[in-house]
Amino acid sequence: MEDYKFLFKVVLVGNAGVGKTCLVRRFTQGLFPPGQGATIGVDFMIKTVEVEGEKIKLQIWDTAGQERFRSITQSYYRSAHALILVYDISCQPTFDCLPDWLREIQEYANSKVLKILVGNKTDRDDREIPTQIGEEFAKQHDMYFLETSAKEAENVERLFYEIAAELIEQARSKEPISQHSRSTADSIGLSSLGSKANYLSQSGCCSSLSSHST
Amino acid sequence: MDEDLPTEFDLVVVGTGFVESIVAAAASRIGKTVLHIDPNDFYGGTWASFNLDALQSFISSIAESPATDESKQFNSIKNASQIWHVTTPTATPADDAIPEGQEATEKIWTKENVLKEFRRFNVDLSPKLLFSCGKLVKLLISSNICRYAEFRAVDHVCTIINGQTRSVPCSRTDVFNTKDLSIVEKRLLMKLLTSCMGYDEHPEEFKDYEDKTFLEYLKSVKLTDNIIHCVLYSISMSNEQTSLKDGIDNTKKFLNSLGRYGNTPFLFPMYGCGEIPQCFCRLCAVFGGIYCLKRSVSNVSIADAKVDSIKCGNQDIKASNIVVGHGNILPDFSIPAGGTGVGKKCGGISRAIYITSSPLGAEELNSSGGGVNFLKLTDESGTGAFVLQLSHYSGTCPKGLYLIHISCSAKSNNPEADIKPYLDKLLTTDHPPAILYSIYFTIDACLRCTSGASITNDSLSNVFVCCGPSFELDYDESIDNAEGIFKKIYPEDEFLPRAPDPEEIVIGDEDPVSVADDVITLDSVKEQIMELEAGLLHQEDCMEENSRNEEMAMEVGEE
Repeated sequence: MEDYKFLFKVVLVGNAGVGKTCLVRRFTQGLFPPGQGATIGVDFMIKTVEVEGEKIKLQIWDTAGQERFRSITQSYYRSAHALILVYDISCQPTFDCLPDWLREIQEYANSKVLKILVGNKTDRDDREIPTQIGEEFAKQHDMYFLETSAKEAENVERLFYEIAAELIEQARSKEPISQHSRSTADSIGLSSLGSKANYLSQSGCCSSLSSHST
Repeated sequence: MDEDLPTEFDLVVVGTGFVESIVAAAASRIGKTVLHIDPNDFYGGTWASFNLDALQSFISSIAESPATDESKQFNSIKNASQIWHVTTPTATPADDAIPEGQEATEKIWTKENVLKEFRRFNVDLSPKLLFSCGKLVKLLISSNICRYAEFRAVDHVCTIINGQTRSVPCSRTDVFNTKDLSIVEKRLLMKLLTSCMGYDEHPEEFKDYEDKTFLEYLKSVKLTDNIIHCVLYSISMSNEQTSLKDGIDNTKKFLNSLGRYGNTPFLFPMYGCGEIPQCFCRLCAVFGGIYCLKRSVSNVSIADAKVDSIKCGNQDIKASNIVVGHGNILPDFSIPAGGTGVGKKCGGISRAIYITSSPLGAEELNSSGGGVNFLKLTDESGTGAFVLQLSHYSGTCPKGLYLIHISCSAKSNNPEADIKPYLDKLLTTDHPPAILYSIYFTIDACLRCTSGASITNDSLSNVFVCCGPSFELDYDESIDNAEGIFKKIYPEDEFLPRAPDPEEIVIGDEDPVSVADDVITLDSVKEQIMELEAGLLHQEDCMEENSRNEEMAMEVGEE
């Protein structure tokens, strides 16, 4: 069951109500959840995609509502490979907050993290932010740019597939050293010991105290 | 962002320190509505990690705030000071003094270029280590919160013998490989460790020493001074007065955590210990907890010896129970007078943090750019000090620099003086660290421990005060504190049952199952139970492995 070559952590940020959860659920489940029901107990979603013949597991993390009062934990940003910053094209304030988000990203995320700016809700006919403005902002801050509609399923697949492709590209360029572009080598996840053979004790027994379905 | 909060909660938690965050997560996990606020703009309170910029401002703000305002504010950190030992670029050494090549690789650190890297620092107010088979590791795994954190296995447990910093052989392999011990010493050491592990099965071996100290026992089994030093001070972290039972229990705890994740029994959280409370906060949020930094309680209304509602911003919020963290205080909460120092449990810690440009100890303790090393120092009078050296591998400082944390029991209001004997020990070793910057402060006890009075029971029956960091290496006491508070509020409920894995709701290409909105299905509950049982089996494996270790140890002995 573990036949994927890469595992990438993708995190979403942006103001409350811009459609982060909808993007994730449209992509992973193919549905557009009606209403604003919080998904209790759902931590991150996983989808395995195939890009250029490689199986890639995307672990997509949502903010768990902590963005509502701007209280996202730093640990949320740690070891993310890609970061999707979302605003609502029909809501100027969500665009105006982008610099604040960028400051937070710069503070806590890995400096080499892949950044994508997403203008969501292109299905709305009360657009407030022209495509060009979003594009320029992205360019200025060295980010990829895409406009999406989670509701109409527009560009959602493309968004995640392009992220996967770009991350593979990055990973391949340094593959001889390490497959996972971690900021620091040799760190241990308590539940993912299997891959850290170098840190197991020489006796080699005891590798997975928590080998549940990882 | 200026949204209003809901106006009624099962639990309001003030402060995002370790204990508070666990209680918040546990309550949210069993379906309670939780509001978690913190007056600070950062997570963790007394347990936080800061980048260098934030650390400097934090320390200055404490140093400048008047300590007189005690009735309104309760500062958990006091006596803070900081000083840079380098200011201007150090004079370039004469060209002939340093061989060519070396000069190019060794960066000369000035205040400016240390500060330039401020984001790479994650400096802990309360640094800790986790025993690999310890309480926190078990809790992180059993609750499935471990997925939010990564760890670095500690590279070396060190000791200072005759002014030399040495690695204490921990694993069997280490004992085999060390050049510091003779063959005879190696046999004796393995034999001793084996009999400590078998203490419960063969108590008769220790019968004559039951009332004696661990040291007396160690001397009786004809160990050399070197080994006694390693076992007494480093492995069992004891001192001359430690009883046999405690000494052996400590030794067993150490040995039980060996061989699980690395060469030593210890783990350090990547990016600092400040990440740990945040992991619990994340879980709380995932289960619906609402998070709000930079909010404090400005007023409380009391009815029937209970807090009925709190004022937060301009909202009145009803709360069935309130948990108040270390360093936070509710308005109208009177601090019982004259009780300082009575029944002190948490806090009372003198802390020092040094940024150094060279590590402690020789190259072999710091291979490829620095080890994450632990050192226990003792003193004549008792509890000694924990010394933790962190390199860039721990994600807490830039490459080429080191953080050295020292913590000891506070003996005075002068943390620098409390720490000095231990610092002197480090500075008089063969490879003393070169200090660029130092910070001293005291971590105070929580309100309840300081006053010695059980405020919560006497006055307000639905308010619970959390302890701050204790002077312990791991988090055992703090977890007990959190679980105790949880059990008082929700006596019938399970404490942090395992959270379902996202994998349980995978929508892969090959498996397009549609998942209903209620994620926790009966199936997943069954799975959880099965996995819990599996977890228990693993623990047995772990024990089995220890007995295997013993067997191997026996082989060494019979060599």
